Amino acid sequence: MGDSAPEADARKLAEEARDRVRFEEEALELADQVYRVARRLVSSREEAEDLMQEAYARAFRSWQSFQPGTNLRAWLLRILTNLNIDRGRRVQRSPDVQPLEEGDYFLYNKLEAAGDSDAEKVDQRLSQDDAVAALSAVPHDFRDVIVLVDIGDFSYADAAQILEIPIGTVMSRLHRGRRILKRELAERTVGSSV
Amino acid sequence: MAFGFEIDPCEKCEEILQPYLDRELGEDERAEAERHLDRCGYCRKRYRFEVELRRFVRQAVVEEMSPDLKQKLSALRTPLL
Repeated sequence: MGDSAPEADARKLAEEARDRVRFEEEALELADQVYRVARRLVSSREEAEDLMQEAYARAFRSWQSFQPGTNLRAWLLRILTNLNIDRGRRVQRSPDVQPLEEGDYFLYNKLEAAGDSDAEKVDQRLSQDDAVAALSAVPHDFRDVIVLVDIGDFSYADAAQILEIPIGTVMSRLHRGRRILKRELAERTVGSSV
Repeated sequence: MAFGFEIDPCEKCEEILQPYLDRELGEDERAEAERHLDRCGYCRKRYRFEVELRRFVRQAVVEEMSPDLKQKLSALRTPLL
């Protein structure tokens, strides 16, 4: 014999509460990873912390729209990147369409030309501060994809979904963004003559 | 199948450096890139540098979440009745 209507309702509520608790726990377990990405999408720790709290509050409110079995980390970052854009924290700028003459071997070639006989020893040539400053100097649209792919370990397809842009745009922004990053690193490491 | 390696292999190698390291190349193109890297010290050195550079930047820019933020996020959970 089936449950009476009140019993069925109570059971449904209990199941929903259990699912929600599980969802919130799983989302919180991913918070460290989400934060590492969030921190480099914005310019300060304070902004990153605000954004995380807003994103998690929204995620917990709309937990039922998450499809179980799909990538929760990507879902959380999609909320977070949307919030980042919605809040107008980005300085809107026209896309950087200036041609870049530097190729992908640019930084290595610069270090080698500067007399570094072993340009492969990256740690000895570059400082942590240079890396942080160079990444911050990359325009937002390009930096977003670098941060998602290189820091967040997302595939091109995941990054495309998170940012709601075509995969070809992810690839072209990544390509250009990494070249800008290398140019910024070269300027800080080899000097302004680059 | 050739992907441009027959014209200027080093230029082609530089062009596909990123998708190669991102493991986003097709199998044939990846195999062709690896054949070139096996033979070409010039590109091999630069590929190794790129691997190190990515590792370095990734480690350099990582900043961990504060315990205070962790607590604030935990406090956002729906209270149990």
